[in-house]
Amino acid sequence: MRSRREFLATSLAAAGAAALPRSAGAQTKTMTVVHESSFIKQFDDFFVKTLAPEYQKLTGIKMNYEPVSVGGMLTRLTTMAETKSGPEITATGLNWAHLFDNSLVDVTDVAGEIGKKLGGWHDIIHDISVVKGKWKALPWGNIGQLEVYRTDWFKEAGVNKFPDNWEDLLAAGRLLKKKGHPFGFELGHGFGDNHGWLYPLLWSYGGREVDKDGKTVLIDSSETAAAVDFCRKFYKETMFEDVLGWTDVNNNKAFFGEQISCTNNASSILVVGKRDFPDIAKVTDHALNPQGPKGRFHLLNSQNHSIMTYASDVKAAKDFLRWLYDDKQLSRWLVSADAYYAPFLHAYDNHPMWNSEPRYMPFKESLKTTRPHTWPGPQNHAASESVAKYVLVDMFAKACRGDSTKDVIATAASQLKQIYKAK
Amino acid sequence: MAVGPATVARPATRAGRAFSRRSLFEREGVFSWVMLAPGVLFLLAFVAYPFFYGIFLSFQDRRVASAGTFVGLANFVTLAHDAVFWQVTRNTFIYTIVATLLKMVGGLAMALVMNQAFRGRNLVRAFFLLPFIVPTVLSTVAWMWILDPTFSVVNWTLRNTGLMTQNFSWLGNATLAMWSIIVVNTWRGLPFYGITLLAGLQTISPDLYEAAAIDGASITQRFWYITMPVLKPILIIVTMFSVIFTFSDFQLPYVLTHGGPANATHLFATYAFDIGMSAGVLGMGAAVALAMLPALALLIVALTLYLRRE
Repeated sequence: MRSRREFLATSLAAAGAAALPRSAGAQTKTMTVVHESSFIKQFDDFFVKTLAPEYQKLTGIKMNYEPVSVGGMLTRLTTMAETKSGPEITATGLNWAHLFDNSLVDVTDVAGEIGKKLGGWHDIIHDISVVKGKWKALPWGNIGQLEVYRTDWFKEAGVNKFPDNWEDLLAAGRLLKKKGHPFGFELGHGFGDNHGWLYPLLWSYGGREVDKDGKTVLIDSSETAAAVDFCRKFYKETMFEDVLGWTDVNNNKAFFGEQISCTNNASSILVVGKRDFPDIAKVTDHALNPQGPKGRFHLLNSQNHSIMTYASDVKAAKDFLRWLYDDKQLSRWLVSADAYYAPFLHAYDNHPMWNSEPRYMPFKESLKTTRPHTWPGPQNHAASESVAKYVLVDMFAKACRGDSTKDVIATAASQLKQIYKAK
Repeated sequence: MAVGPATVARPATRAGRAFSRRSLFEREGVFSWVMLAPGVLFLLAFVAYPFFYGIFLSFQDRRVASAGTFVGLANFVTLAHDAVFWQVTRNTFIYTIVATLLKMVGGLAMALVMNQAFRGRNLVRAFFLLPFIVPTVLSTVAWMWILDPTFSVVNWTLRNTGLMTQNFSWLGNATLAMWSIIVVNTWRGLPFYGITLLAGLQTISPDLYEAAAIDGASITQRFWYITMPVLKPILIIVTMFSVIFTFSDFQLPYVLTHGGPANATHLFATYAFDIGMSAGVLGMGAAVALAMLPALALLIVALTLYLRRE
């Protein structure tokens, strides 16, 4: 009988001890930056092994680096914003500055200083970073989505220069598929490599998802129909069925498995190739997305830093970002990433990092023609909903599997009208 | 010797308080509640609170990191007009029904085999449990490679045995993708059925089978008139759990197909996640997740009533 009381007393004491709060220091001694793990390991390593110790030596503040698995950053940020706890500084991407506007600190002053020092920001970044006239995110670079192709197989097929427009790429793809080297462009539910070429394809044919007002759905147009018809032909004549179910890892695997001769991807294929598949890397190159009847486009995929409003010392967080975006730090950090991130600051337009590997140059060039998802529509919650529901991707994918152009556009239009609450 | 009631009922005041505190925990009713309290609190915090908060969210237009506004049933009305939601509903029912049937039949067969006496039986039983033990995300990544168009061992085998000349697109073709995730779910869930039914089989006395055999009952008759009546309640309970797990499956389709191609394998859980977490429309995401509730509640009530009647 006595043992029951003893058991209870011990259990309660243990539970109480576990629940005791840890004492918190009054002065900022540490801060945490959360990032999605970079495909370029040196980039993460440079922060942990070089930048953080340097900052600690300078200010006494220990900077922790919390990596989140690829594709998991939005979920982490959602948790942080909803629970109002976690790292003080966060990586943001796409239109997240707009989504999490209420949870992010106004960094207009810091953005202004950085812009002034480093030649000014590229115009396109304002759509993403500035919310209601206030900067909520400080971009450090764009992960471009471009054409990645096998130079040896293209030459074998008699294509010595990468085609400049979609029709010529289709013609090249026909030849390559006949030679057993099909193309592989993702049409499934990944998070980047699908939108990476399908939005540019739509735009290059003149199609638009929604107008600037964010209420007028424009998808049902002859321009969209032309893009859909081209995509179906492009899929049938240059690819194979698997691409319909691909997520973002598949095209990388297929490229290194020597199954495909061309895809749309970031420069990570070449970076990984140089490390693990040197023979393939030697015959790999990049090109801008082909142009269509209405121009050439690329998808904006900016990587930014933002400060959470719950941060106990916003000034300390801003000071850190001022230091980080100083050329002395930013320049070295960008170099460590092997030009994987194309910076949005004009001072870096001719940075030496672009000289180390000429095959990365198209990523710099692509900045001039990048547009955010759902452009020209506003970067609001509805835009996120459209992307998360894969409206555009599924419109093209359904056409490729055999549905009629009219049907797939009608379905997409109906979904978009619901999402944008259009009349 | 007569003991006056006052001796027991009125001890010294100080000793009385100590006695009361001590005796409080000696009472089964009090002690059992004290012991249950951590479990109940855990359930309240991690099951009841999210559940009721989910219901609360589903009646709101609630965007991530923003205040919500009450919209009544508007989210459900929107879903009723969403073609993808109905495709997701159809997918979830097909996935659950087919996978559960396969697991039921396969699990029963597995249990019957494992109930036989043979050499290495314990080792075989341990191996059969592997799919259930390995973390789902890990085993699903292995399946990604198995079904991969370039490196698929299935395609390689079929090609090298001359059974086909071209690769099957296991995850790219809408029909094959659904079958693929059903097969993987069945593979993962079989041991749950097998081991639970095996436990039931072991409660059946061999004398019953011997007596039936002496009376001339065939194997089929012994199965239907001895095995099945004993297994039926267990089968119902296992099926109930299996349906719940399969209906709300997330990891497997999310890792293998992320709902693609063109929503062909999108289930309630993956669609709710995409809307709630990726799009940040928390109210609508909660409404999609809650859409699972009526079907599951009906099933649980029906099976529970059936069990009570039995």
